[in-house]
Amino acid sequence: MKVVTGVVGNDIHVVANRLIDLSLRARGYEVFNLGVNTHLEEFFDAVVETGAEVLMISSLNGEAEGWGREVPLLKSRYSNLDDVIMMIGGNLVVGSGNTEDIVARYKKYGFDLVCHQMDLNTGLDMLQSLSEERGIA
Amino acid sequence: MTATDDKLLIDVGSTYFKLATANTIEQHFRDFNRDIFDDLMGKCGDTIDRFDKQDIHICSSANGGLSTLIIGVTNSFSLKYATNIAFNSGINIIDTILYQNIEEYSLPSDLIDVVIIVGGVDSHANLFSSALYRYIEQLNYSNLVFVGSALDAQQMRDNIDNVVVLPNIIDDRLHIVEEHLKEYLTNLYQQDIEGKEDIKHLYDITANQIYSTPFIVNRALPTIEAKFPVADPFILLDIGGATTDIHYSKDLVEDNIVTENEYDRLVFKRLGVYKSKQSLILAAQANEFTYELLTHLKVTENIFHEQSDKATKILMQLAIFLVLCKMSHYRQSYINLKLLAINSIVFTGGITKVLTVEDIESIIVFFYRKILTSDHKPVAILDSDYGIWTLGAKV
Repeated sequence: MKVVTGVVGNDIHVVANRLIDLSLRARGYEVFNLGVNTHLEEFFDAVVETGAEVLMISSLNGEAEGWGREVPLLKSRYSNLDDVIMMIGGNLVVGSGNTEDIVARYKKYGFDLVCHQMDLNTGLDMLQSLSEERGIA
Repeated sequence: MTATDDKLLIDVGSTYFKLATANTIEQHFRDFNRDIFDDLMGKCGDTIDRFDKQDIHICSSANGGLSTLIIGVTNSFSLKYATNIAFNSGINIIDTILYQNIEEYSLPSDLIDVVIIVGGVDSHANLFSSALYRYIEQLNYSNLVFVGSALDAQQMRDNIDNVVVLPNIIDDRLHIVEEHLKEYLTNLYQQDIEGKEDIKHLYDITANQIYSTPFIVNRALPTIEAKFPVADPFILLDIGGATTDIHYSKDLVEDNIVTENEYDRLVFKRLGVYKSKQSLILAAQANEFTYELLTHLKVTENIFHEQSDKATKILMQLAIFLVLCKMSHYRQSYINLKLLAINSIVFTGGITKVLTVEDIESIIVFFYRKILTSDHKPVAILDSDYGIWTLGAKV
């Protein structure tokens, strides 16, 4: 299964990005890692170019909130992304917040899996479960 | 191309011929009523006759270059990478189509020299469908090359006659692979020259490949410090009679293109001070800062209708301003340069005959203050004897 991943916005948390890359490969995924400082459009374009089934965006500095709002509009411009599993994880707000509220907000933006301040392996287990549920694992 | 004792270097531009020997650089205004070859031999025949064919190296931008249509599946990868390679291969006229919307694009009426189809990494298949083939069937083109996913190559061969299939320009890490398409486009440029009546006879005087001038200028940039006091990062503006070329250090681009090139190129077609004068004036009239700039230069818009040395000078200053605008976030282009990081701006082309460093720096200061609200002031360097292109074939 193919996964496009990277860190969104002006965020240079490269260590987290590398750990995600290694963990995905260890679980057998084919990884297309766009690295840090990635624009939202590049994520979607990479999914089109690779035929990835999963788009996994990470954010550590809280910038995801601003970018997340753009997701529905941008995604609507693409004709063939409806079946892609959209996942986001890391530290998804600036400051603190109620996790349930945060998850609900990002789901409204169009993300299927939202992993706010969650252990990486737990998030990857969630991805595995959803992939199996959709019959693409 | 460096002038050594036994070499003659010739640049055939849209407005001027330039000839360089070890000691001299000559420039001649072209006679547009004459065949390029006849005009060149009439003006410079004595010099040319002194050299053997294998010692004459020619570059040219006079044939207008190849017109290109790129069809790709995304803006960030396939279209951007193919555009980057085409510009660096010396191509001036590039139109793009985002494949998912192909049915919304009108058909170009002119003959297209080369159509480039690109999309997908090699492990992804079936990126294109019958919509592409229907569009291609209606196009009027001379060459078509596919540089997308290897898994789609056979489908292209089955559906498009005479398609040339080259290795993918996108590798499995989504990085750009330039060499195959670049070589193909450079060779097409040579074939284009050989097929054009008024320029093909240039091969009667040289035994070497004729390259496009921007390709040669781009190749000269890593050695530019040998001739000019340039501080990195820098841009080079070649504001010519028909088009404007910008060559820029890769350090100035925030981009996902990872290549070994130190410098890339882009072109603003129909932005020149001679053949493209009218379109330059239209571009100026569409820019809301133009009138403020004209006031700054102590003239009015009536200058656009004048035929004088002063009008030419103002037009050239406007060209510099418009080019800087097009590269800034103010007017989003194919790429945006980090203009506040530029230390030097090198100018070549026709404008160096007319403008002084002071004339140019006044425009640079105006641009940075008005558009970028900054006091940054890169140093302007003039290639006043057109020498930069002669460095290009040294590589």
